[in-house]
Amino acid sequence: MSNFSLSSRSVKDVAVITPRGYINDIGAVRLEQESGQYLDNGLKKLVVDFSDVQFINTIGLSIFLSIVQNTQDHGSQLCFTNMKKDHLEIFEIAGLIGHVKVFKDENAAFTYLNGRTPDGKKTASQTTAV
Amino acid sequence: MAKKLHLKRLLFSIAALADLGQEATSTKDLSEKMKAALYIITGMFSVPTAALFVHNRQRGMLDLIVEKGYREINREGIHLSVQAEHIKSFRMNDPHAAGEFPKIVFFKQNSVIFTKLQTKIFLPFFAKGELIGAISLGRKLGGAPYRQGEKNVLKVIAQQMAITLSNAQLFRELARKAAENRRLYRNMQRIYNDTIQAFAAAIDAKDGYTKDHSYRVASYAVAIAKELGWKKKDVEGIYVAGLLHDIGKIIIATKVIKKGEKLSAVELSEIQRHPRISYDILSKIKFPWKNIDNLVRHHHERVDGKGYPDALRSGELSEGVKILALADAFDAMTTDRPYRDKMSIDEAFREVMKCCGTQFDDKITKVFFGLIRRELDGEVCDRQILHHLECNEASPVAVSGFAYQQMDGSGNT
Ligand SMILES: [Fe+2]
Repeated sequence: MSNFSLSSRSVKDVAVITPRGYINDIGAVRLEQESGQYLDNGLKKLVVDFSDVQFINTIGLSIFLSIVQNTQDHGSQLCFTNMKKDHLEIFEIAGLIGHVKVFKDENAAFTYLNGRTPDGKKTASQTTAV
Repeated sequence: MAKKLHLKRLLFSIAALADLGQEATSTKDLSEKMKAALYIITGMFSVPTAALFVHNRQRGMLDLIVEKGYREINREGIHLSVQAEHIKSFRMNDPHAAGEFPKIVFFKQNSVIFTKLQTKIFLPFFAKGELIGAISLGRKLGGAPYRQGEKNVLKVIAQQMAITLSNAQLFRELARKAAENRRLYRNMQRIYNDTIQAFAAAIDAKDGYTKDHSYRVASYAVAIAKELGWKKKDVEGIYVAGLLHDIGKIIIATKVIKKGEKLSAVELSEIQRHPRISYDILSKIKFPWKNIDNLVRHHHERVDGKGYPDALRSGELSEGVKILALADAFDAMTTDRPYRDKMSIDEAFREVMKCCGTQFDDKITKVFFGLIRRELDGEVCDRQILHHLECNEASPVAVSGFAYQQMDGSGNT
């Protein structure tokens, strides 16, 4: 149940949060708290990287709902990256997709947010919101 | 395509209800359980803000226990006042939409809190007709209205929440009652114990025996009963019987009791009334232990049928009576009386051996000596018999080789 873990880093004005494992237990509320801290500290750009997320249930969905709401309340931007098909599906059913920008990877999200990749390279516009 | 999404949504709801069921039966504590439930429900309906209340009947309040998505909310300060007439106005396990609020007194009276929580749906849940709790759901992400299908799912959720919460409340109530019963039982035991000890002291004072005769008889009896493998409850019983065995002496004239020897026939029959009086007194008391009255009635019986008051023979005497008879006589032998000095320990042992099979039961005597022998040999760390004998001695108990041999068990008839 609780093979959930979390790491995060900030790249200039962008916070990248990387949850791992199963987001299906109340322990994953840490994800909500972590993003809330970045927002409270004034960061306006948030990226959640789904590469290592294995499973999301309704509890996980509810945690993302809070993150979306909180980001909107702060007037900040929220991007999801590296989502698998079943992640996208559950977010679609819940009507969450319309409230976030979804990118295939971190580079694409950074390009959308800053016009450059995390390593600073300018890229051609590839903001293909899914 | 729309049909496919509808099917997926249905599957999603079913999976969420299954999650809710799993949380309900989990071993988490109630507040963790309720928090998980609230997250599942808000996840199902895409609601970022929600609050869960539990009905506090004593205070006539719905107390907030878990909330989600509110910034800077003071949980302690959020209570919805709910009176009996309010409860009657609720539709059981049915969501009440914000549009209905202005028409219902309960919502009008608590409007400040509902505004603060931005409640769009209020879902009261009932079990067996009793209000158990309620959920307030805020605006859905994006502001879409709650569809009829979603309201139907909420009805199912309400029933599930009601059962989970009322089970938890019942469990807590049971645990509270069990703790209260344990406390009452401990109190009762203390009162019993104090009362019995007080009686024992009063009996010994009246008798003129050395102090603590009843206490020692009780201790010897317990030691023998344990040696025989008696159950804890029965050991407790013989302890109490030991403490109270002479209670009947309270009624007998002090001068007769203290005279002790050279009694006239009248005086002797007077003093021999005490076991029967003990029985009369104690048979009126409902003890938590069995046969206290019979134990005290027969503590002067002998296995050869020459005892009193009923001159019963070995086969008619219980093991407890035989234990008590030996314990009582042994203490009488080994303590000073107003009319004679105590026997030496060696003499007392010889006397018990001599009376084995006439006054005392064979088996009980063997067990008694077996225990003493093990105490003498240092095989038992808790010296339950010798400890009392040594209280008035300058040196440790020593017995003659003869007595020691007899105690081996083989020397007894
Ligand atoms: Fe007696």
